[in-house]
Amino acid sequence: MRHNKLRTALTGLSVAWGIFMLITLVSAANAIIRSFEENMMNSDNQKISVWGGVTTKPYRGYREGRSINLKNDDINTLSREQRDVVEEVTSELNGRQSGVATNTTYVEAGFTGVFPSARDLNRLDMVDGRFISQAELDNKTKVMVLPKEYAEQLFPPDGKKAVGQRVDCIGLSFLVVGVYESRFRTIYIPYTTAQVFASDNTDLDQIVLLLKGVTEVEQADKIEKDIRQTLASTHGFDPDDESGVWIWNAVSNALTVQGGMSILNIGVWILGLLTLLSGIIGISNIMFVSVKERTHEIGIRRAIGAKPVKILTQILTESVVITTLFGYIGIVLGTVLTEVLAANVGDGIMDYAHVDLGIAAQVTAVLIVAGALAGLFPALRALKVKPVEALRDE
Amino acid sequence: MIKLTDINKTYPGAVPLHVLKGINLHVERGELVSIMGASGSGKSTLLNILGILDNYDSGEYILDGTLIKDLSENRSAEYRNRMIGFVFQSFNLINYKNAVENVALPLFYQGVSRRKRNLLAIEQLEKMGLADRAHHLPGELSGGQKQRVAIARAMITNPSIILADEPTGALDSSTSRDVMALFRQLNRQEGKTIVIVTHDPGVGRQCDRVIRISDGLIIPDESIITDN
Repeated sequence: MRHNKLRTALTGLSVAWGIFMLITLVSAANAIIRSFEENMMNSDNQKISVWGGVTTKPYRGYREGRSINLKNDDINTLSREQRDVVEEVTSELNGRQSGVATNTTYVEAGFTGVFPSARDLNRLDMVDGRFISQAELDNKTKVMVLPKEYAEQLFPPDGKKAVGQRVDCIGLSFLVVGVYESRFRTIYIPYTTAQVFASDNTDLDQIVLLLKGVTEVEQADKIEKDIRQTLASTHGFDPDDESGVWIWNAVSNALTVQGGMSILNIGVWILGLLTLLSGIIGISNIMFVSVKERTHEIGIRRAIGAKPVKILTQILTESVVITTLFGYIGIVLGTVLTEVLAANVGDGIMDYAHVDLGIAAQVTAVLIVAGALAGLFPALRALKVKPVEALRDE
Repeated sequence: MIKLTDINKTYPGAVPLHVLKGINLHVERGELVSIMGASGSGKSTLLNILGILDNYDSGEYILDGTLIKDLSENRSAEYRNRMIGFVFQSFNLINYKNAVENVALPLFYQGVSRRKRNLLAIEQLEKMGLADRAHHLPGELSGGQKQRVAIARAMITNPSIILADEPTGALDSSTSRDVMALFRQLNRQEGKTIVIVTHDPGVGRQCDRVIRISDGLIIPDESIITDN
């Protein structure tokens, strides 16, 4: 090692290059995966949405072309039938555009009646106050949560005073309990309150089922089928009629995408490891040379009482140290490039390109294993050195 | 201390080479003996067997009451480490380790802590009069100094015997005398059993006894010769 600094450095460089490639590829792949997940909404991976549809098949005397409208009772039926797999069944009721007024100003806005879980489902950031509570849902309380933009318009200049104020809407007085920030712009009110508004109409726009811990596409598909079955029997349409109700199975979509992502991840690791392999072979090669050059020294060590395992660990340690040392140069370079990518590549794709602790830990493990592998065969060769070598004159 | 009974050793090959043809040898505790013989006499093979560096085919080798025969690699390493101190012609110091580290190396293989083994190594170097050279690399030492470092390394485990292979072969005559004086001192003052393999009659004369080997056999003992 000591005698051939240049050779060691050149070989080390190929290890550094391998690790550099590995870490850059893995980080970039992770960034792509993260940005996909970001666009997909976190809650999606446990969410199935159902809308009313129009039948396309005649069934039990009904002709095709009949509208199926979801009802309040469907929520109860579905939560009962699917209670093993469903965390919560919720719904949203979209109100008509209505005026919201304070003493001084006025905005025209859309309403959405929701359950308390809508906050997490739609990933709303509360900037002030709180979201709708279960008690308010149960009591049909007249409260509302405003998007930040409306809060600013109704309570200028910055909407900070909005929480705790009352506003008029359709002749009723609502208490503002919170302000949120999101890409949506609708006023959230308790689902039950929204139903009172639409008193003559118990049709639901949509029912959302939140599943618990579904990780298999097959399971998600089975739940979707069960939901259709249940609704078909309550509403009297053919269970095989795909358009009786429309179901958006985000769970199975998310799982499919996740599957694709893990294939991407594995592919990237394989590429990186293959690149690293040439470095490992190089290290193995210089370790072989080193063992050969030090035959006499190993002989001396054996003569004065080194057990074979001591020689083995000495060579392995050396190999691991060299590999890890140069590997870390690769990690540093890879981190630098990744940060440059994150800062300069547009479209948000590389925003999440960071070398996190997880990757660093995995790569370190790879380095140690790689170093040990590179050293293994030279170390076994060193074991063959007999102590008599010590007596041989150079 | 050393008891060899009818040791035979043959190197296999196209023409098998019968190197040792029944060696019988006794060395008492506290003796300083030399083994002399021409090249090809089986001297080196005998040294390898005495040093547990090589096996023998038949016979019996008892070192300090322990039968040395058919040992595993681990066991022979352990015996070499604890029972034998080697001194070589070309010193065989590890050239990127300083004197203290070289002397301490056998203790490393006994699992002694760095602190303790370095302390013992410095102590040993002081005895050899090399305290001021303790942190020098072998390349910075003279031949005589190197050999004294090597002797310190051989002594550090307090072995049963010191085996020296042509210890003065690479030294000039005055340094040779110093090294031999050191061996005699270790023998007289500390009662070390020392076996020196040499072809230098001058060295042989400074030993209690000369064992001559020729053609794979020990030539019957001469009378004890000592100068001065």
